[in-house]
This record gives sequence, structure tokens and C-alpha cells, in this order.
Amino acid sequence: MKKFSTLVLAAALIWVAPILVSVLAPAPAFAIDLKDMIYDPGQLKPVDSTLKVRPGQMAPDFALPSTTGAVVRLSDYRGKMNVVLSFVPAAFTPVCSDQWPGYKLTREMFEERDAMILGITVDNVPSLYAWVVEMHGLWFPVLSDFQPRGAVAKKYGLLRTSGTTERAIVIIDKKGVIRFAKAFDINRRPDLGVIMGELDKLQ
Amino acid sequence: MKRFAATLLALLLFSTPALAKPKVGDILPDMEIKAAPLPQESAYLGLPAGIKSFRLSQVKAEVLLVEIFSMYCPRCQAAAKDVNELFESLTALPQGQKLKMLGLGAGNSAFEVNAFRKQYQIPVPLFQDGDYALHKAFGNVYTPTYMVLKPVPGKGFQVIFFKEGPFGDGHEFLEQVLRVSGVQ
Repeated sequence: MKKFSTLVLAAALIWVAPILVSVLAPAPAFAIDLKDMIYDPGQLKPVDSTLKVRPGQMAPDFALPSTTGAVVRLSDYRGKMNVVLSFVPAAFTPVCSDQWPGYKLTREMFEERDAMILGITVDNVPSLYAWVVEMHGLWFPVLSDFQPRGAVAKKYGLLRTSGTTERAIVIIDKKGVIRFAKAFDINRRPDLGVIMGELDKLQ
Repeated sequence: MKRFAATLLALLLFSTPALAKPKVGDILPDMEIKAAPLPQESAYLGLPAGIKSFRLSQVKAEVLLVEIFSMYCPRCQAAAKDVNELFESLTALPQGQKLKMLGLGAGNSAFEVNAFRKQYQIPVPLFQDGDYALHKAFGNVYTPTYMVLKPVPGKGFQVIFFKEGPFGDGHEFLEQVLRVSGVQ
């Protein structure tokens, strides 16, 4: 009986020990800021794909899952709004993690030009969700081109050999026609002035 | 040979100050800001009207408080109101004539700096650094970063205060900046 009690006590201690350790040990230094969670891939080849779309053609349609759980279809915006497809390479990387917060700040500029941004990466929905939360939310849909991997980016000629997308902007008018398409240097943010200038041409 | 290798290693370790983050005591070059100040910015900084670019040493001040920011940086966006209040508090003091503030937009175009200025109605003179040249010269610091620089004739500017990240309490920060600046 004594042996049994000792065994039970030992088992209880083993079971409780991790809880005690987690309660009593000092809290680990968790990242407290988005900048601390960023993976820096260093300087990359500026552009690593060949565009398959050009201004004047109808934008290839697609339907992708968003971080809200809804599926977003490009053609749903036809006749209603201009669309800015903002392809970025990956969640939790340096340039991407401030490009979209910048668009958050300048929401009014996009709205004045009747434009909706659709943010696209090849990350899966849960990763994108966590990233959007870290950016304190965004006002535009963030879409996952994860399965089949990079299929939409590939259709537009914006899939890099590494499997991520380019840092690209595609502007589509209300008729669904591509009016601007460019893969920018992946290491830099596209100048907001260029995007607004192109949207101004649609007015 | 051993001595050569040791010297080479020492050179490699200690010869890249341009990429290292500045620390108090470091001397930074007198940088050129390749951006035209707005009329009110020229007036505040004591620069000739209509100037297209200027060096930091041309600013009429005993000490400079420089903010490295980016329109895209969420922490800079969150800090904008505090920076405005800091500027208003500083310019209301007599020391505000001797300690002048300006901001440099790391990787921001003129359009982006204007968007940031307009969104937060920022009275601080802000200038673009579209190619990150100034950001690099300042050691690729995170945004926002605040530095107090004191001119060292013929050499550039000495860093007398360095703060990476938001400054928190504006009054405390201003007191700290005034104290290290030594302006009366």
C-alpha cells in the first residue's frame, strides 16, 4: 500500500511539476512588437518572374479564401469598384510588414479613387490571420493563394522560382480590364505616388 | 602571417561604422537633405527661402532633434500625435529657438511624406529619404528613432542622445532631451 502511495505521489509530482515550473519560473521574453517577429531574408533578386498579363486585357478571374473566412472573387467587384491587386512575397517579412499598414493609413486616398485593395500572398489563412492581427487589422481583404500553391500569382506571371509572389501591383478598372501591371523590386515598397497616379488615370 | 590575420579580423570587426547603429559619442557626417523645405519649414529651420536641398549644418540651431520615421511604420503612425505635441511644447519654450526638430522619412518618397504630414497634420519639418541614403548613414535604425545631434565644426555632428522606438511620456522625454542638449 505504501509502495502504491509513493507511486501515486510520484506520478502526481511529475504531472504537476510542469505547471509549477510554468507558474513560478520567470516569464519567457516573448516578442512584444511586430518588428521582433520579422524574419529578414536579406536582399533578394529584384524580380524573378515574367509578367503574363498586360494593360488592356481582361484580368484573369480568381476566387481566394480571405482571413475573414469568406471567399473573395475578383469579378464580384466588376461594375462596382476599381481593384488594386497588391501581391506581396510573404507574411512576417520586413518590407511587406509595413507596406500594408501604410495602405491602412492612406485608406481615404484609395476610397477617393473608388478603389479596393485585394492583398495576396501564398501564405495559408492561419498565418495570414496572425499577421493581420499583428498589424492591428487592415481595412481590405487579405487573400491566401496557398492551395493550389501560388496558382493565381502564376496566372498573372508573378510567381517567383522560390515559390513566393513578387511585390507587384495590378490595377483593374470597373470593367475588369487591367490598366497597370508591374512587378516592383521585391526589396523595396512600391511608391504610393505611382499607385495613386495610375488610379487617377481611371477617373 | 598570424599578425596579418589578426589585423585583418580586427579591421573586419571594427571598420563598418556606417552600418552599426549610432551610440552616444559617435560622430556622424554632415548629411545633405535632398529635399526642398516648405516655406514654413525654411522659416523655422532658418534656411534660405526656395532652397532645393540643404546640409544639416545649415540649420540655424545649436542642437538638432532628428526623428527617423516612415509613413508605413505603424509605430510611427501611432506616435505621430505625441510627436506633434512634443514639437508644440518645444517651440513654445525659449529653448525651442536653439533646439530644432526635423524628421527624415526612411524609404519614403515626397508623395509618401506628404501623405503622412497631411494625415496627422504634422508641423515638424519632414523630408523624404526615398533611396534610404540618410537612413543608411544613420546606421539603418528602426523607425521611429530619435537622435539629438550637436554640431562639431569641421567634423559633422556628435550623437548626444539616442532613442530607438516610441518615447512614451512626451514631457519626460522633452525634459530629458533638453537636459542632454544643455540649451538654456
